[in-house]
Amino acid sequence: MSVNDGIIWVHEDAISLDHPVVAAAGPGAQPIFIWDSHNHDALGYSLKRRVFIFECALDLDIPIYAGTPKSILREVANGRAIYAAPSPDPYIAHVLIDLQKDHEVVPVDARPFARIASDVDTRRFFRFWNQAKKTAMLSTQELEASQNTSRDDA
Amino acid sequence: MSDNSQIRPVIFDPKLRLNRSDVIAKVRDLSPNLASVDDQVSPIVGSKAEALKQLGRLNPATYGRTRNHLDGAVTGLSPFVRHGVISTADIRDQALGLNTPKEAEKFIQQLAWREYWQKLYRENPNYIWNDVEPYKTGFDAEHYADDLPEDISQAKTGVACIDQFIAELLTTGYIHNHARLYVAAYVCHWRRVKWQAGARFFLMHLLDGDPASNNLSWQWVASTFSHKPYFFNLENVEKFSGDSVDTRFKTNKTLAGSYEDIYARLFPNLEPKT
Ligand SMILES: Cc1cc2nc3c(=O)[nH]c(=O)nc-3n(C[C@H](O)[C@H](O)[C@H](O)COP(=O)(O)OP(=O)(O)OC[C@H]3O[C@@H](n4cnc5c(N)ncnc54)[C@H](O)[C@@H]3O)c2cc1C
Repeated sequence: MSVNDGIIWVHEDAISLDHPVVAAAGPGAQPIFIWDSHNHDALGYSLKRRVFIFECALDLDIPIYAGTPKSILREVANGRAIYAAPSPDPYIAHVLIDLQKDHEVVPVDARPFARIASDVDTRRFFRFWNQAKKTAMLSTQELEASQNTSRDDA
Repeated sequence: MSDNSQIRPVIFDPKLRLNRSDVIAKVRDLSPNLASVDDQVSPIVGSKAEALKQLGRLNPATYGRTRNHLDGAVTGLSPFVRHGVISTADIRDQALGLNTPKEAEKFIQQLAWREYWQKLYRENPNYIWNDVEPYKTGFDAEHYADDLPEDISQAKTGVACIDQFIAELLTTGYIHNHARLYVAAYVCHWRRVKWQAGARFFLMHLLDGDPASNNLSWQWVASTFSHKPYFFNLENVEKFSGDSVDTRFKTNKTLAGSYEDIYARLFPNLEPKT
């Protein structure tokens, strides 16, 4: 680990070291998990939900901090890049947006499940599935390979 | 970690192996505002090894045939997927490795539901707590109660199968998709409670509790994100549940009847169902 390596925010939507964010951050990057009980209180999480989440985090053998993500990430990163899986959860998204003010924030997507045009009709599931099916039925390897080909074509 | 960091992790010992009671004590310690009355812990343990164990039991072909049965070959992977311990891409790859694409398709289509709800969440965060469309039940939103009655949250409704499903949710943090549909329909249509109240309750307890999958499924049942309300009858519960669920008439009277009868009872302002 060198002072130039980044840190990885392992948040509650991506409690894994197999997520591509870890490889993208490089071997020297430090993954950390942050336990924010105020957020759990606000969401009304029961003890069993909290225990499950804690166990998943504990399983990774990474440092677990307790407190508010914004301040802990700032302090631990201390100017270094922060890698994280993007999330639609406003709680996570807001933290990442806020950190962009004074840090390099690098979002890294999960391995793709399907390739879906952005203008797909999402009003009902089956219209979505009819389009997603073609690539969702490919293995991730095939899907990634075909993604690269279509990028090259473009 | 940077040397000038003032804060210290609460856990930083790669060799630390806590037993479950130590984990629970630690979680309580780190959750000072958690009411002490809440003392249930799920038998489902959070770890990658557990996720892989569940994944190892995957049988997409049997899944396709039995998934609607409460004792069918569903995977129990949702808590792990919800928290990213395992990805839908990894699960799909496993499914494709086990069966022909045709046999695996139903299972992969179910995985796609998660992707679908997540996409909607990303693009329309306002869908999560607001009605996407009006109710199609013959009632307006203001006809529905704001809060979940206590008999529901305590599994004491007096409707035996519903109480069993809620009790299972409270103790394990997981119930089968069909049980979720039954409970949600009971809350929205039999009790005429806003889907938001039911969704909030599920999110407190489901280990897989996810704002998108949960709230948009509730909206699907309520009819605020579907063409018509989802409802069921006792016969349907009987058909899909094994012997462990109490589906006797005398303990589930309000659910008994033909679809036409129940429809007329639940949605008296709509045209009769023929
Ligand atoms: C009222 C209601 C609330 C729900 N709340 C949630 C929730 O909070 N979180 C959640 O993950 N699912 C939710 N679901 C969807 C579904 O019930 C669960 O995903 C499923 O029962 C999980 O069990 P499993 O892992 O054994 O599923 P399997 O049938 O084995 O499916 C495999 C995986 O596919 C995904 N999946 C399957 N069906 C669905 C579906 N209909 N919607 C979304 N994802 C699906 C899940 O990630 C699941 O783990 C809800 C459904 C209803 C009707």
